[in-house]
Amino acid sequence: MGVRLSSVAKSFGSFRAIEDVSMEIPTGSFAVFVGPSGCGKSTLLRMIAGLEEASGGQIAIDERDVTAVEPADRQVAMVFQNYALYPHLTVFENMAFSLRLARRPKDEVNARVGAAARILQLEEHLQKKPSQMSGGQRQRVAIGRAIVRQPKVFLFDEPLSNLDAELRVQMRLELTRLHRQLGATMIYVTHDQVEAMTLADHIFVMKNGHLQQAGPPLVLYDDPDNRFVAGFIGSPAMNFLAARITARAGSRVTLSVEGSDHPFEAEMADASAIGSAVEIGIRPEHLRIGSAPGLAVTVDVAEELGDVSYLYTRTASGKELVVQRQGSRDRLDGTLVHLSADPKHVLVFNGEGRRLR
Amino acid sequence: MSQIQSQPQLRRPAKSLPRRIENAVLSVLTLAAALVWIFPLYWTLVTSIRSDENVAGNTSLLPDEFRLQAYVDAILNTRLLTWYFNSVGTAVIVTVLVLFISVLCAYALSQIRFPGGGLLYGVVLASFMVPAQTLVVTQFILMKDLNLINTWAGIILPQLIAPVVIIVYKQFFDSVPKEMREAVVLDGGGEFTILFRVFLPLNWGITTALAIVTFIGVWNAFFWPFLVVTSENMMTIPVGITQVNDAFGVAYARLMAVAMLAALPVIIAYIIFQRRVTEAIMISSGVKG
Ligand SMILES: Nc1ncnc2c1ncn2[C@@H]1O[C@H](COP(=O)(O)OP(=O)(O)O)[C@@H](O)[C@H]1O
Ligand SMILES: [Mg+2]
Repeated sequence: MGVRLSSVAKSFGSFRAIEDVSMEIPTGSFAVFVGPSGCGKSTLLRMIAGLEEASGGQIAIDERDVTAVEPADRQVAMVFQNYALYPHLTVFENMAFSLRLARRPKDEVNARVGAAARILQLEEHLQKKPSQMSGGQRQRVAIGRAIVRQPKVFLFDEPLSNLDAELRVQMRLELTRLHRQLGATMIYVTHDQVEAMTLADHIFVMKNGHLQQAGPPLVLYDDPDNRFVAGFIGSPAMNFLAARITARAGSRVTLSVEGSDHPFEAEMADASAIGSAVEIGIRPEHLRIGSAPGLAVTVDVAEELGDVSYLYTRTASGKELVVQRQGSRDRLDGTLVHLSADPKHVLVFNGEGRRLR
Repeated sequence: MSQIQSQPQLRRPAKSLPRRIENAVLSVLTLAAALVWIFPLYWTLVTSIRSDENVAGNTSLLPDEFRLQAYVDAILNTRLLTWYFNSVGTAVIVTVLVLFISVLCAYALSQIRFPGGGLLYGVVLASFMVPAQTLVVTQFILMKDLNLINTWAGIILPQLIAPVVIIVYKQFFDSVPKEMREAVVLDGGGEFTILFRVFLPLNWGITTALAIVTFIGVWNAFFWPFLVVTSENMMTIPVGITQVNDAFGVAYARLMAVAMLAALPVIIAYIIFQRRVTEAIMISSGVKG
């Protein structure tokens, strides 16, 4: 296992920033911690780096317990959101800093910095100061500083959030390539679920210091454990409707939606009582538009993106639902349409937000 | 990244007449103030190149003589060179020690969590409120008990108390993003690496500025060296000047020549580091104000 956390906790005074988090990050994988701002992702990452001391639990890197090991001896390297480059040193000196502190021979320093610079296309910039470089280049230098150390684990804390949108997409691709090229374990923190989906092979969704769910991106997307994960992953977000279980036939349940006489059906083995209040979740691309029968909605606004369009609709009771449409281009603004969904795409959550399977 | 560089304005818009009058008045006032400030220096210079006989009662504002005799006398017949040596020696040592001690203190207060840290900083701030004069008697007794009267150590030690330098450094270290420190920690550096290889080089300007202010302060210090030194051999220049008076009766030309020579290093330092000195005074008075 690349990184293993066992019941890790962190308190700042009486505030519990991380509570009982356990996770396994396989060697060589690209793990992403994602969650809303303040959920404790950075704290968790900094604990792996050793910059924050764990209040409880164990942290192991490559099966070695590093809970009490100094940051420099954990064989991790970190890339910060604000880059934290040494502004008075050149790019070369920035990347060579750790090697020089470790008194590595000059040849080795040159070779390792040279190799990193080649990977990151920084060779022409080695004698520049960080202030003479663009944001994207600085980011590369920060990554280069990490690469040079040949760490077992790379830690990234929102490294792209200071870049503009276009560059962010480009750097995202470069990070994926870099990961493939180096084959090292990478842990990446972001609040942006799109970044998480595109970069990760393992996503860890966090909220209020708790790990909500861990798994490959598409598993989280298709099969979320709870309402929070369901709503957080995916853009536009999943639609939620208050409903009540009204009938069951085998694993097929019928769910009536308030203010609509059209029920949805879902596949669910869970033996919740008939009549219990639940919430159903349907992704925008799983809502089908048709004529009656179905859930009657009025189309407020239609966003045409060419390949797809998003319809922002409203039920009679004012509940907003987003529908993704592909292929068809006829204007539906202001019209009344009926929505239905395949039972296998209707997810059910209980009152506490737990998924009923 | 699209970086839009704004073009510097090539032509200034023509100024209105009232605006120009206002500027002219301001210029005249500034000039007048500058003249008032520079006059003593000018008068010192003029007097120092007169002969002693010609000084008394001479109210002519223009130099009517050019003799270097007073300077020659000052160098040959007083202990000026010894005082110079004492001044340079003590000022350099105080400056180096003050910066070194203060930077370590400020770094610890700013970057390291330890019990009593806040209290300690409170003490530094409080010591900043205590006027140096109130400590003089105690310090004198202390130096006497330590047998340091008439020694460099006696001149130097009490001048090492420099809360302003600590405060300026602490504010500087506080302003460095914490990731900078963490990057060094992950790169395998300890506290001394962080301080001397990253934090201080981030802005040598602050260190230069503090060094200049401290040096000038010590160079000009009169009260304490005057108290702690009685032997002419251990005097610094400002104290030595009083001896020129005593030893030669009223020898104004020579007195002024010594004063000119005393001010020389500060004047040269000012000319070389003009911008830095201004910055330095702004930095340290920013703290005081
Ligand atoms: N050094 C600290 N002292 C006190 N509270 C902290 C500290 N660092 C983080 N926190 C708190 O812990 C929570 C998680 O912070 P963080 O891990 O930075 O969140 P994010 O998921 O946005 O990266 C936040 O509520 C934050 O205010
Ligand atoms: Mg964060």
